[in-house]
Amino acid sequence: MTSVVTFHETSKWYGNVIGVNKLTLAIPAGVTGLLGPNGAGKSTLLQLATGQLRPSQGMVRVLGEEAWNNARLNRHLGLCPEQDRFYEWMSGWDFVYTCARLSGLTRSAARDAAARTIDSVGMTKHRQRAIRGYSKGMRQRIKMAQALVHDPQVLFLDEPFTGTDPVARRDLMNIVTSMGTEGKSVLISSHVLHEVQSLTSRVVLLNHGRLLAEGHVREIRELIDKHPHHIVLRCDRYRELAGCLVQWPDVEGVRVLASEGELLVETRSPDAFYGRLPGLSLDDGLAIESVYSDDDHLEAVFKYLVK
Amino acid sequence: MNDAISSAVSSPRSFGATAFRGLVALYLLTIRQHLHGRRWLVIGLLFLLPAALALMVRFTSSRIPPEGLEFMLAMMLMPQLLLPLVALLYASGMIQDELEDQTFTYLLVRPLPRWAIYLAKLAATITTTAALTVVFTAITFGAIYLGAGIVAGDWMPRLVKTAALHVLAMTAYCCLFGLVSLLTKRAQIVGVVYIAVIEGLLANLPFGIRLITVIYYIRLIAYRTLSYVVATPRGPEDMAAEAWQLNIIDDPQLLLHPSPSTCLLMLLGASVACACLGARICSQREFHVKTPDSP
Repeated sequence: MTSVVTFHETSKWYGNVIGVNKLTLAIPAGVTGLLGPNGAGKSTLLQLATGQLRPSQGMVRVLGEEAWNNARLNRHLGLCPEQDRFYEWMSGWDFVYTCARLSGLTRSAARDAAARTIDSVGMTKHRQRAIRGYSKGMRQRIKMAQALVHDPQVLFLDEPFTGTDPVARRDLMNIVTSMGTEGKSVLISSHVLHEVQSLTSRVVLLNHGRLLAEGHVREIRELIDKHPHHIVLRCDRYRELAGCLVQWPDVEGVRVLASEGELLVETRSPDAFYGRLPGLSLDDGLAIESVYSDDDHLEAVFKYLVK
Repeated sequence: MNDAISSAVSSPRSFGATAFRGLVALYLLTIRQHLHGRRWLVIGLLFLLPAALALMVRFTSSRIPPEGLEFMLAMMLMPQLLLPLVALLYASGMIQDELEDQTFTYLLVRPLPRWAIYLAKLAATITTTAALTVVFTAITFGAIYLGAGIVAGDWMPRLVKTAALHVLAMTAYCCLFGLVSLLTKRAQIVGVVYIAVIEGLLANLPFGIRLITVIYYIRLIAYRTLSYVVATPRGPEDMAAEAWQLNIIDDPQLLLHPSPSTCLLMLLGASVACACLGARICSQREFHVKTPDSP
């Protein structure tokens, strides 16, 4: 698959502080999640990709062009920045229209694009109100609209769902999904994993400015198989069940969660463990009510990798 | 990457038109920013000061002739203090305000070359301050001459020349302080010190050091194109020569000073040089807009 954004041995320092550290990464077309805790280097990475920052070392290319200070390239890029800052005195309409004009659209094209984009983020009803009076959700929607107004080929979203209500979150997620469907590329950063996993299974994990892992969630899971998986079993006779489980060679540990009537099992061979479980129920008559694991969940993957 | 995008990215023709439209939008946006908020009130009050002083003097003393008032207010107070202060307030904030408000990101990610962003914002700043200067110079002249028994035909041409000189001074100050704002984060402090020491003190000394001031060239043009000889009880008095330390006794034609065309070229040349240097700095500089979790 052709890469839309590539980082080659890219580092970015702010004095003694490292923003991004020797990052080599190729992001293909489509929707990609950029995950990491606060301070992981996600915003720095997006600022490098949108040409706002010059790499201290290495190279950043977007759509085959060098990203730093490349006005020509910016026609095809959209950025929804993390900071909640606007020209507060403008109305939502005015802001999006102005951004369209700044992107080089003619007056009539900018009017049409602003109307269409504001409608797509569900802000038509509030478009004439001053931004300073908007709720957090409205501000995020308008910020998304300015990023979309010039119909970019690649969209960079920096924590776009922060502070949004569930309705706004759903609407914004729908926009991201539809952009992916239309063949556009979206790189979306977040430190809230469940937001990203519902949009894409392709993720990049950053921590302390370093690339921790990248690829499909499944591929990442393979990477972390050396870490113990957590599996929770619910059973009435949980203490008896614990006694059986500790004898299994693939079980690393068992913790009793007495208040919930559950056991938390740690294993490095989840497939083997799952394979034995049905036999345990049948042979020993231990009725296991439920089995669940966070290991298919990005949250768990992330927790493992940043440890 | 598909071919359509590849060709669009590299197409110079379509990019030129796109960038031009974007820069026009930026120019208009900057003018709107300048005419918004509390700064505009401060500027208005500052600029109304000469008119207020003129009215106060006229109502409290009849001994000062209108020409004398014009000299003190329109050629002393305004170009030496108000114009550089207003230019400083506007020009130092062109980029820095956007950085502090974290709105610069919205400009950096548009298809606008950075050097052109600076020049568009500078052009808008000059336009705004020049328009304000013309309006408030006219108000000052109105406050001095209206109802003073002098026909408009006598002072209108002086108003036009004075306003033109003010615009020239304002242009030079904007270019200078715009550059200063890129060189230091404390542009306003540096600017105030510059106004007080360089333009305020050194320009009034009869030494070569005044050649580096804006006000010196403005005064020379003003002296040669406008007369400030005022009738006093002691007889006609050349207020400008005395106040500006011009030795008209030994050098009545001011031959030892630059000619008006040289003055004009110096001011315009310095303005263009400052603007080009600012644009170059802007094109090379990395503007780090702070984000909530940035280092």
